[in-house]
Amino acid sequence: MKTDALVDMLARDAGPVPRALAARRLSPAAIAGLLASAAIAITCFGAIPAQMFSTAVPWTKMGYAGALALAAGWWTARLSRPAAPIARPRRMTVMVLLAMAVVGGVSLASTPAGDRLAALLGKSWSTCPWSVLALSLPALAASLWAVRGLAPTRLRSAGFAAGLLAGSVGAFGYSLSCPEASPAFVAVWYTLGIALTGSVGAILGPRVLRW
Amino acid sequence: MPVDDRHGDFESALRPLWLRARSGDDAAYRQALGLLASRLRAYLKRRLSGYPDEVEDLVQETLLALHLKRGTYDPALPVSAWAVAIARHKLVDLWRRRARRDSLHDAIDDVDEQLLAAEPDDCGARRDLQTLFDALPQAQRQAIELTKLGGLSVAEAAARTGASESAIKVQVHRGLKRLAALVRADPFAEPPGKVRQQPGPLEPGMSRPVHQRSK
Repeated sequence: MKTDALVDMLARDAGPVPRALAARRLSPAAIAGLLASAAIAITCFGAIPAQMFSTAVPWTKMGYAGALALAAGWWTARLSRPAAPIARPRRMTVMVLLAMAVVGGVSLASTPAGDRLAALLGKSWSTCPWSVLALSLPALAASLWAVRGLAPTRLRSAGFAAGLLAGSVGAFGYSLSCPEASPAFVAVWYTLGIALTGSVGAILGPRVLRW
Repeated sequence: MPVDDRHGDFESALRPLWLRARSGDDAAYRQALGLLASRLRAYLKRRLSGYPDEVEDLVQETLLALHLKRGTYDPALPVSAWAVAIARHKLVDLWRRRARRDSLHDAIDDVDEQLLAAEPDDCGARRDLQTLFDALPQAQRQAIELTKLGGLSVAEAAARTGASESAIKVQVHRGLKRLAALVRADPFAEPPGKVRQQPGPLEPGMSRPVHQRSK
C-alpha cells in the first residue's frame, strides 16, 4: 500500500482521541487487583480482629501501601507514554519508601533495645514478603495488561514500575490479614515483598510488554 | 512544560494540526500524518541506510502505531518527540526481529544442493489473487475484501464484521503488506510470531528463501 493511501485510510473517520487513557486503563487494573488481593487475603489468611482497626497499626500499613501505589501508578503511567518525563514520579516513589523507612526507624529506636529484634522480625517475617508477592499477582497481571495497551518504550522500567504498583496493591490487601504491629516490620518486610513483585515485573516487562 | 526548541519549525507546524486532530478534525489529522510521514521517512532513512527497502515499510508501521497509540500523547510534550520515541521503538523492534531472522540463515556451504535446484516455475498460479488471498489470515482477507474489493468504507466494514474501525484498518494494512510480501516472497515483511500461520495452499509451488525452508 502506498503511504499516502495509508494516511488517508487512518485519517478517515478517525474521530476524537480518547482522553486520560493511561488513568482509564491503569485505575481499573489497580482496583480489580486490590479487590482480588483483599478477597484472597481474607479467604486464605483470615481477617485481623476488628478491634485492631481502632489502633494505628492497619492504617499505617494501608497508608504506606496506598501512597506507594499512587506514586508507582503515576510512574507507571508516565513510562507507558512515549517521551514522557519520569523524574518526578520516580522521586515521589523513592520518597514514600524513605518516609516508611524513617517511620520504621523511629519506632525501632523508641523500642527498648532488648525487644528490637522481636519487633523487627515479628512472628511472620519469613512468610510476609512471599504472601505480599502472591497477593500481588492478580494486580501484576492486570497492570501489565493495562500498560501493554498503552505505549511503553522502556519495557524493563515499565515492567518494574507496574510491578511496584501491583506489589503495593498486594500489600494493601495483605494488611487486612497481617497480625504484625511494628512499623519497623512493615518498613522491611512489606517493602521486600513489594520489591520482589517489582523484580518480577522487570523480568516480565521486556517479554510481555512488546507491541 | 516548554516545547522543545530542537524541533523548531516542524513542531510549530505540526502541533496545531495535531491538537485539532485530537478533538476530531479528520482533515487536520490527515495533514498531520502527512507531515509526520515525511519526517519519519527522513529519520528512518538515516538510520536504515543499509536497508533502503525497509524504510517505507517502517514508516507505515510507525504511522499505524501513532494512530493506534494516539491516546498516549500528552499535550504537555512536543508531538514530534512523542512520534520519534515511537519510531525509535519500532526501529529497535525491527533490529531485534532482523537479528533473530539472520540467526536462522544457514551458511551457504552447508546448504543441501538439491534445495538450490530450480523450482518448477508456477508464475501464473502464484499471482492468482484467490491463491494469494487464501494464504492470508481470515480477518485480513475479510477486511481487504470488504474495503478494497467490495468498496465499503472502513466504518461500514467495521459494522459488517463487528470489529472496531481501528481493527479493520490494522487488518487491511497488515493484509496488504502480507500480500505484497507473498508476491515478492520477501522474508522480512512479516515479523515472526505476529502473524504465524500454517503453510497455506501457496506453499508447494512457491519459491522461498532457503532459511525459511530449513525450519
